Amino acid sequence: MKPSRLPSPQRVRWAMLVATLLAWELVPRAGWLPELFLPSLSKTLLVLGSDWSIYGSALLITLGEVAISMLIACGGGIALGAIVGGLARLRVLLMPIFSSLYAVPIVILYPVFTAWFGVGPESKIAFAGIYAFFPVMLSTAAGIRTIDPQYLVAARSMGATLSQQVTRVIIPASLPTVFTGLRLGGALAIIGVVVAEMLTAAAGIGYLVTLNRTILDSPRVFAALLMILLLSIAYDIATRKLERRLLSWQPAGRSTIAMRGASSSPTTNVSAA
Amino acid sequence: MQQLADLGDTSGSKPGAIEVRDLSHVYDGVNGQVKALEDISMHVAPGKFTVIVGPSGCGKTSLLMMMAGLRAQTSGELLCHGAPIPQPDPKRVGVVFQEASLYPWLTAVQNVEFPLSLRNDPKTERRERALQMLALVGLEGFADRYPHELSGGMKQRVSIARGLVQDPPVLLMDEPFAALDEQTRMTMGHELLRIWSTTSKTVVFITHSLTEAVYLADEVLVMSARPGRIIDRIAIDLPRPRTYEMMATDKFGGLRERIWQQIRSAH
Repeated sequence: MKPSRLPSPQRVRWAMLVATLLAWELVPRAGWLPELFLPSLSKTLLVLGSDWSIYGSALLITLGEVAISMLIACGGGIALGAIVGGLARLRVLLMPIFSSLYAVPIVILYPVFTAWFGVGPESKIAFAGIYAFFPVMLSTAAGIRTIDPQYLVAARSMGATLSQQVTRVIIPASLPTVFTGLRLGGALAIIGVVVAEMLTAAAGIGYLVTLNRTILDSPRVFAALLMILLLSIAYDIATRKLERRLLSWQPAGRSTIAMRGASSSPTTNVSAA
Repeated sequence: MQQLADLGDTSGSKPGAIEVRDLSHVYDGVNGQVKALEDISMHVAPGKFTVIVGPSGCGKTSLLMMMAGLRAQTSGELLCHGAPIPQPDPKRVGVVFQEASLYPWLTAVQNVEFPLSLRNDPKTERRERALQMLALVGLEGFADRYPHELSGGMKQRVSIARGLVQDPPVLLMDEPFAALDEQTRMTMGHELLRIWSTTSKTVVFITHSLTEAVYLADEVLVMSARPGRIIDRIAIDLPRPRTYEMMATDKFGGLRERIWQQIRSAH
């Protein structure tokens, strides 16, 4: 017989998930909570199934907006972060400003954006793009600034040209920090779009939450919440996988508290082009 | 490259010879100009192992960086086999740095072939060459490890392999074993001598460890505190190959003591 021991963390996590889903189903059924507060899981799924076309098209709208705001945030954030992080003078001048702006609840800008751009996708994209821009920009700047100068001295001693120093040293060396910013920025872009949709909008998953809440249709509210939940989790898993692929060279545990298996890391050629 | 070698021949010095004449260096510090190096003259014959010791901040690393073409001197001449070194030239001069300056995103073999990949050498060729170098430093079987999977001593072996991969006649080493523990350091010194004896490179080696200096060197140059000058040249006439037992001899102790006296007086 095997000696008795504690179950693995993975098993416990699955057990917690199952318990949560069971509670979601059983608590409203048992009447411990009124359905207005918490409709049962089966009812929520049923609504999701019957209204699939509504939820599907809303999800597509949200996804499109998230994608564009991510592009804006990542493109602008990486470009500006690289410039500000790489040039000492600009860094001294601008970093305090950006750090302070990061602390501002940018949601206060949303009413302004709706006035400027209307309640269509433009205002949501502008808001989410700016919301997600700051972490990407700040972590890119930090990633560039914290590169060990010895890496560049060594590269020069080996005859690297300036452009080779950028492509072969600076970019790979700053990748882990930049990637952390991208993950956070992407998550914030999702939040930004959904929040904007919930505040003032005429389409998207967040709009479905607000719409159904005002008519007290709880199952439909929760159906929308479930979709947002799944979207966020899918995003997290995808970026984690990507990170593991791109940054397989990192010592385990440095990047994220990932559910890394004991499997040996594949020796992917990261930049040996 | 061929041109430079020819240049070297016409000036009468063999590949690997280093000639420094009246070299001085002044830089702009916070409180005006700082004299870092003063009237440095030295000659390193091809294939010789020269160690530079001196108090911290005496400019020995600056001197080495000038030999590597990474920094320009204010005045004086610095020739490597007869030609100046206005910019880094890894085919003439390889450099091994203090901390392992390996790139953590590259495996051991990718790190070693990094200088070759900068010049777009054919992939199979450079891989083969890098594997040879890893074998030379005793790291067969570790080619696909990332730096964080290697010990400190192994990392410095990879650094040495990287410094040697383009077969430069000169290898400059800036306190390469400073971050290692004492035992590893001794082993690495011994290993370096083995590698040196099989490759017959000219080595200029900076260290703070007097034992290491005497153990490794053909000649030890002692530098003074800033402005750095060469205040003594001590020929180490211990036989080769060097052994650990030599460290216990009176001769070894005497040489070590003489360097120590010079460094003390240099403050």
